[in-house]
Amino acid sequence: MATVSFCDLRKSFGAIEAVKGLDLEVADREFVVLVGPSGCGKSTTLRMLAGLEGISGGEIRIGDTVVNALPPRARDIAMVFQDYALYPHKTVYDNMAFSLRVRGIAKPEIESRIREAATMLDIDKLLERKPAQLSGGQRQRVAMGRAIVRRPKVFLFDEPLSNLDAKLRGQVRAEIKKLHQMIGTTIIYVTHDQVEAMTLADRIVILRGGVIEQVGTPDEVYDTPASLFVGGFVGSPAMNFVRAKRDGEELVLDGGERMAVCDLGPRAERVGQEIVLGIRPEHFVSSGDAPARLTGTVNLVEPLGADTLVHLDVEGATVTARVTPHFRPAVGERLPLGFDPARIHLFDPDSEKAVA
Amino acid sequence: MSQAVADRQETEERQTVGGRFARLMDMGDGALAFWLLLPTAVLLLAIIVYPVCRLIYTSFLSLSLTSGLPASFAGLQNYRDMFADPVFWSSFWNTVIITVVTVPGALVVGMALALIANIPFRQRWAFRLALLVPWALPLAFCGLIFAWFFQSDYGIVNDVLRRLGLPTVIWFNSYAWATVAICLTTIWKTSSFMALIILAGLQTIPRSLYEAAEIDGAGRVRQFFEITLPLLRPAIAVALIFRTITALQTFDIPYTMTRGGPGTSTVTLAMYIRQNTVDFLDLGYGSALAVAMFALSMIVTVFYLRMIRRGA
Repeated sequence: MATVSFCDLRKSFGAIEAVKGLDLEVADREFVVLVGPSGCGKSTTLRMLAGLEGISGGEIRIGDTVVNALPPRARDIAMVFQDYALYPHKTVYDNMAFSLRVRGIAKPEIESRIREAATMLDIDKLLERKPAQLSGGQRQRVAMGRAIVRRPKVFLFDEPLSNLDAKLRGQVRAEIKKLHQMIGTTIIYVTHDQVEAMTLADRIVILRGGVIEQVGTPDEVYDTPASLFVGGFVGSPAMNFVRAKRDGEELVLDGGERMAVCDLGPRAERVGQEIVLGIRPEHFVSSGDAPARLTGTVNLVEPLGADTLVHLDVEGATVTARVTPHFRPAVGERLPLGFDPARIHLFDPDSEKAVA
Repeated sequence: MSQAVADRQETEERQTVGGRFARLMDMGDGALAFWLLLPTAVLLLAIIVYPVCRLIYTSFLSLSLTSGLPASFAGLQNYRDMFADPVFWSSFWNTVIITVVTVPGALVVGMALALIANIPFRQRWAFRLALLVPWALPLAFCGLIFAWFFQSDYGIVNDVLRRLGLPTVIWFNSYAWATVAICLTTIWKTSSFMALIILAGLQTIPRSLYEAAEIDGAGRVRQFFEITLPLLRPAIAVALIFRTITALQTFDIPYTMTRGGPGTSTVTLAMYIRQNTVDFLDLGYGSALAVAMFALSMIVTVFYLRMIRRGA
């Protein structure tokens, strides 16, 4: 087990800079998830850590060792690939034993490690099968088993759930979480799915265009997003953004509603002529007793059982509200939605950073 | 008026075509399969089954166009003559030697070429293009080119040997050296075919397997033997079947390089069949020789197919 640190890590592919000076410290036994949209540099960062991609600048440390120039086999890491990368001609047992045989580990030790990992992952009945005879979920577990038997310092997961259907994804996600609790090894996990990131991570690293937008616990990135991008990326349905203009001691929201600047509390001092309000769908309340409100035309109602999503058109922008399950407004109805100004997020429209 | 007639005709035509299609769809699976396969079956009967049967039948006849005698049933006489014929045996062994040497030779060289062609480097397209050249050249053309290369006085091979301070060789004066020259030429010509099939096989192996192996600690050599070679098995089997069958039919290269010489020492089975049927017009004996070659090809094919089935 070990810490991992990235210091001013850079990667360029010709003229394209994929990772632009990434600094990050991962603690021993920590589960860190790198998340972001396609092309944000998350997989490239993971592959640089694995040694599968050279680095253009900076430094990577695993424990106390700088691994910049070390080949993958010398880094003492194990990786679970998006397509599992199981050797199709080898049985499950041989897939798991391969790395141990390469390292010259004695046969009884190999046998015992494989049995232990197979029992842990509930694949002990599949050891004589070949990958083609396994389901997607079973393959995923074998890929994890292959990594576990190595007992590496760091586990790397590169979008390991992408090839699974939604139900299986939830199941395997829980298994990965349990696995980390059992073995306690440092894990660096890459995904583009913010739900995976929120449910698995001790800390989430949100990347955009090769730079870190925010690092924090799932609660931190959800409750105090550092930027418009993070606010919109984390949370499902996404945060609503409403533009507002200052008119003296009031803010005039898109749609014409007004609210008092002083309702924003201490943040009121930092509100300029224009501001973007970030309102989570679940933070809308009944308009009757709310200090502020937003009015729009209902254009879609999605009953989800546990709650209902109402989509409104507010001056051409779509605003989504999560409301009680039996509230069913009619399409075309003008609907006022209340919100508590203390719970909303404020963003500077120019810098896109949060106004704290 | 005329428009109405035209419309009605068109409707009737459509109904007829539609009706035929519907009738086709109403057939049972067996009947539909029969009618769909019939044209191919007839074609195969005409161009493969009938000639093979006719060949086997002719091999039991005494039929020499130079004798002026009518064809007569000779039983197994042609086969008895064949087994007693020293030129048949030398041509048989020459064919076997060429097959045994050039098929593995082309496999090894082809594998090396395919591995190089699969490495990502800037001039890879040029290398891949160059791979196609020997494959695209006609066999007889290769034989003629290499006959010049191995020419004892002004051939490039002896020139290189001379520059390296090695003794030169009169390639086509001895059976052994002539066979070496034929085998080298055949390997050069056929390696690119092997390389193309193996390269296609290499491209189906996912890159992530090599990355996983690298993380697992396997070096390049181990990756080759543990990943590349096992996953190439189907491609290698296909390449071997095709190449072995064509090696058993070797004709053009030895014919253009040595004409079977010195003497008849480098005559192959295919050359001997041609000599008997075309030069000597002995169709009965030539057919018996062709049946022997056919049997040899079938034995090898069945052997390979069994190997593939066992590996599957």
